Amino acid sequence: MVNRFGADRFGGWLRRQFRVIGAIARKDLLIFLRYPANALMSVVEPIMWLAPAYFMGQGFSVDGRAIGFEGFAGTSDYFSFVMIGMFMSSYISTAFWGTGFSVQEDMTLGVLEPNWVTPASRVSLVIGRSVIMFLLTTLNSIGVLVVGAALFHVNLTGNVLAAVITMLPMLIALTGLGLGIAGMVLSVRRAGTAIDISNWVVTQLSGTTFPVSVLPRPLLAVALALPTTYGFDAVRSILLGTKTMLPVKVEIGIMLASTVGMCAAGYAVFKVFERRCRRQGLLGTH
Amino acid sequence: MSRTIRCTARVFLAAARRDFLITTRYADFVVGMLVWPILMPSLTVFAAKALAGPDGAGLSAFAERTGTTDYVGFVFAGMVLWMWLNMVLWSVGGELRAEQRRGTLESNWMTPAPRLAMLLGSGLNQMIVSVMPVFASLAVCSAAWGVRFAATPLVCLVFLVSTIAMFGMALAFASLVLFLKELNAAVFFLRGVFMVFCGLTSPLAVLPPWMRAVSRALPLTYSIDLVRRLSLAGASYADVSRDFWVLTAFAAGLMAAGCLAFLVVDRAVRRNGTLGQY
Repeated sequence: MVNRFGADRFGGWLRRQFRVIGAIARKDLLIFLRYPANALMSVVEPIMWLAPAYFMGQGFSVDGRAIGFEGFAGTSDYFSFVMIGMFMSSYISTAFWGTGFSVQEDMTLGVLEPNWVTPASRVSLVIGRSVIMFLLTTLNSIGVLVVGAALFHVNLTGNVLAAVITMLPMLIALTGLGLGIAGMVLSVRRAGTAIDISNWVVTQLSGTTFPVSVLPRPLLAVALALPTTYGFDAVRSILLGTKTMLPVKVEIGIMLASTVGMCAAGYAVFKVFERRCRRQGLLGTH
Repeated sequence: MSRTIRCTARVFLAAARRDFLITTRYADFVVGMLVWPILMPSLTVFAAKALAGPDGAGLSAFAERTGTTDYVGFVFAGMVLWMWLNMVLWSVGGELRAEQRRGTLESNWMTPAPRLAMLLGSGLNQMIVSVMPVFASLAVCSAAWGVRFAATPLVCLVFLVSTIAMFGMALAFASLVLFLKELNAAVFFLRGVFMVFCGLTSPLAVLPPWMRAVSRALPLTYSIDLVRRLSLAGASYADVSRDFWVLTAFAAGLMAAGCLAFLVVDRAVRRNGTLGQY
């Protein structure tokens, strides 16, 4: 009897959280669709960033093969290497900007306080935003991949489904990261520059455009401390057959462990800063 | 006549001083401006290092196309000049829009002070502020990678002419943004065009012919190429004279076009009464 009552309560709580997540996701989707120019630029801009990488690869290539690069990565297809890196790094950017920084946007627009005084869980409010941002990022990145493949040469020969499954723990870990960043943004406010720089450093040191083995030792140590580095490495080895730093199973294990760690840490950080802001009455200020 | 010149100079300096105070008030902006030009080219160099290969196998192909094996200096020169343009577009190009959003544009423009002097004064501050990160970046490149950029009088002249070209372009851009009422998408698009076509990290020889034709119509292509040849490859004036004068013509044309665009916009927004709208 007690168990059933407990299960009902949990079921009700879960349904309420899904309703909050769904409502926030729907709201953010509507806002995204209201600005078609921004949606278009979100596909065009990454292509503009990819073009210099493509031509730089060509500058070092012989008959379209990056022969020097092969010595580091185990593949001479530099552009496909970069394309996968860009695809995966877009999720890191979403964690930093779409989830973390969005709190500051809400502050500026003046909607953070009214939303947060409702009985809805604040963690669910942030996760709702993460869910829709990751979905939009996926659609956007697929668009970039298709356009990039049409304009340049991209050759993915591996098992795409296996690559997607390998990527999932990284995405969950990034949701935790986004939650933690959202908490910090609550407290720091003008976090734009810090977010911008951190996002870029993390994406680059994860190996978006180069194998991390080219980094000098101090930077290599930072790169190896990032779980995303192992995600990039494992997915590339599945899709392109590149050399991995560790066996793929070990890399997946690291990602799974970091998923638990980053979600727990992100939740804890968010709660600490959220409590502090509520206590100090800082939610409505910016 | 001399009184008019004195008044114009006062407006020019007042606008420059005001903008300098605003710039230095926001520490995160200053940090970003110093960090980006160091961070972005440095990490791009690692991609070039990966392409060169552990045994330098990719370097011969690069040297064949560029005439140099110094890929670090090559990448730094391209990236730093592009980042400079990027900063100028955001700061000078976005100046009128920023004032419009702050609500100070209309009130300032209603004063009898010459508007072009206000904009040029504000631009002077932005140009000084944006040049500092360029030198910081080149200094880091020299210290960290051992690349030696020759700072001859001709290189300094190329920087000066490039500054005028960028400033003129940013003036025209600022006027356009006032019409479009959208800064971000406009900057993203314009800087993207320069990024794709100007040979930031690659020799122009690898671009398809139609892209090379576009790149020849962009002043930044000449700035990057001249800095690479003069500072890194030790070229003389005789080697680069044609490209130098093309860049100079761009600078003169763009400055005139920028001032003209500003005067046209000034008249149009006064007539339409849309100065305060955003």
